[in-house]
Amino acid sequence: MAEVRLNTVRKAYGGQVAVHGVDLHIRDGEFVVFLGPSGCGKSTTLRMIAGLEEITTGTIEIGGRDVTRLEPKDRNIAMVFQNYALYPHKTIYENLAFGLRMRKMDKAEIDRRVKSASAMLGLDPYLERKPKQLSGGQMQRVALGRALVRDPDVFLLDEPLSNLDAKLRVRMREEIARLHQEVGTSMVYVTHDQVEAMTLANRILIMRDGHVQQVGAPLEVYDRPANLFVAGFIGSPEMNLIEGHLERGALKAGGLSIELPPGIAVAEGTPLVLGVRPEHIGVGEAPGAHTFHVAVIEQLGAQTLCIGEVAGVRLRVLMDRTDAVRNGTTLPIQFRPGRLHVFSKETGARINRADADVGRRPAA
Amino acid sequence: MSSKATIYSFLILGLAVTALLIVAPVVYAVSLSFYQMDSFVGAPKWAGLDNYTRMLSQWVFWRALINGFIYSFGTIIFQVVLGIGFALVLNQVFPGRNIVRGLSILPYLLPTVVVVLTFKWMVDGSIGVLTTMMSAVGLPQVQWFESPGAAMASVILVSVWMWTPFVTTTFLAALQTVPSSLYEAAKVDGTNAVQRFFHITLPMLKPILTVIVLLRAVWMFNKFDVIWLLTQGGPVGATEHLAILSYRQAFGQFDIGGGAAVATISFAILSLVVFIYFRLFPLDTE
Ligand SMILES: Nc1ncnc2c1ncn2[C@@H]1O[C@H](COP(=O)(O)OP(=O)(O)OP(=O)(O)O)[C@@H](O)[C@H]1O
Ligand SMILES: [Mg+2]
Repeated sequence: MAEVRLNTVRKAYGGQVAVHGVDLHIRDGEFVVFLGPSGCGKSTTLRMIAGLEEITTGTIEIGGRDVTRLEPKDRNIAMVFQNYALYPHKTIYENLAFGLRMRKMDKAEIDRRVKSASAMLGLDPYLERKPKQLSGGQMQRVALGRALVRDPDVFLLDEPLSNLDAKLRVRMREEIARLHQEVGTSMVYVTHDQVEAMTLANRILIMRDGHVQQVGAPLEVYDRPANLFVAGFIGSPEMNLIEGHLERGALKAGGLSIELPPGIAVAEGTPLVLGVRPEHIGVGEAPGAHTFHVAVIEQLGAQTLCIGEVAGVRLRVLMDRTDAVRNGTTLPIQFRPGRLHVFSKETGARINRADADVGRRPAA
Repeated sequence: MSSKATIYSFLILGLAVTALLIVAPVVYAVSLSFYQMDSFVGAPKWAGLDNYTRMLSQWVFWRALINGFIYSFGTIIFQVVLGIGFALVLNQVFPGRNIVRGLSILPYLLPTVVVVLTFKWMVDGSIGVLTTMMSAVGLPQVQWFESPGAAMASVILVSVWMWTPFVTTTFLAALQTVPSSLYEAAKVDGTNAVQRFFHITLPMLKPILTVIVLLRAVWMFNKFDVIWLLTQGGPVGATEHLAILSYRQAFGQFDIGGGAAVATISFAILSLVVFIYFRLFPLDTE
């Protein structure tokens, strides 16, 4: 168990920069998820922590030890790969034991650890099999077990669930969460799936094109996205982003005028983007309500997603399940200032006052 | 015509061609070994197993058999070990790698005659490059084709030089099929490069290696041209193996039946070796 520090870690392949300088302090026992679209540099950053990728500039510390120039085997990390990377010609038992054998561990201790990991992951019936005689989910558990037996300072997982089908993914996700609770070791987990990130993480680090966009707890990132990219990336269905400009404390967009929260310190007429989550749009008669014309209805089961427009602006509205709306229905809706996210159109940065803690406000 | 009939007609055609081109010559060669014949024009005389008993009772036969094993084991071991070594080197990232990879196949592309003549020229007693270099550093002069040991060494040397690139190229291609994440997992598991070779590369490439060794073994056991051009089996039979013996028996001694008997025995031995080999190293390892 140990904390991990990344000090302005940068990676360039020749002239092309893949990671632009990540600063991060992973606390002892913390579960940090690297989240971002394909090619944003999540794997590269993880592999630099593992020592599988050379660090161009910056330093990495694990447990207070500078490991920047150390080999993977000397960093006391364990890694789980996307394609499992099990040794095909070794039995499951040998796969689990290999890392310990290479470290010249006592035979009885190896056996004890393998047995305990295999019990924890339900692998006992498979110990004498070869990897190709297992299902994807079982192989994934072996890959986890191989990391587990090592009892490392930190677990590194690179999209460990992406080769599994949707149902199994959910089950393995729960299993990883349970595992983290049981062993309490720091984990760094790479994914492009925001649900995995939201459910597993203590903190999420969101990346784009090699730049860190935001680091924060799942709800913090959901409640207060630092910029337009994070706003669009986190949350499903996606946040509504409405382009307009500031006019007397309100956003003017086409025929629409939306009252903004206080503390928008920009000049009159500044181009802005207003973000509002589909689930945060109020439906019902109220003074100052807008008229929403429904065009498409998506039934999600517990909820109903309506897609349509209000005064010429496209909008998604998520409400409790209802059978009453149809194509062509009009609904009265309101935007609550406390639930709005305001971004500069030019830089994409959030410009709400920092203390506008929208998510935790009691609903108006 | 039904599709079944089509398939059968093609099958029969294919079998007929195979029979004509492969089975017929083999049957003919084997049948020759049961006759006494001193030329291909004279009438053959039935000899039963006489040719076999005669050849098997001769010391030259057993010498040729042993020489054949020495030659094929020697060439295979060096080819495979060196070939794998070069493949591992060429698999590393270094400047000019592609050029070196291309050049490394060259020996395999040269005609045997050219290679053999070049080698003979290099070890020429008075003007050979190797001879002058060796005497320059004070080594005694080697009579490459006069002493039995040196003659065997030179046929092995030339063969290894010519066919190592085949092993290198095949192994290099096979190396590309090993997923890099396996090596990364092993690095994290605490292995060094040598351990990774024995725990990952070798087991992963075992099937391909099995085939390489077998192919090389069959080819080397029957290899004729290199030895014939270099030593003709000499000095005094020191490099004579079964193929050379068979040839000399049939066309030197005009004992076609004896030559055919040697060839048949050689064929039988090779089949047996291949059979045992596949029992020892099955391809579908599980
Ligand atoms: N060996 C390499 N040489 C050059 N560029 C590379 C190399 N490896 C990765 N890159 C580049 O670095 C960037 C980040 O790659 P990385 O693998 O970290 O992405 P990722 O966020 O893990 O994406 P994904 O979700 O698709 O796995 C990409 O633009 C990629 O093209
Ligand atoms: Mg990746």
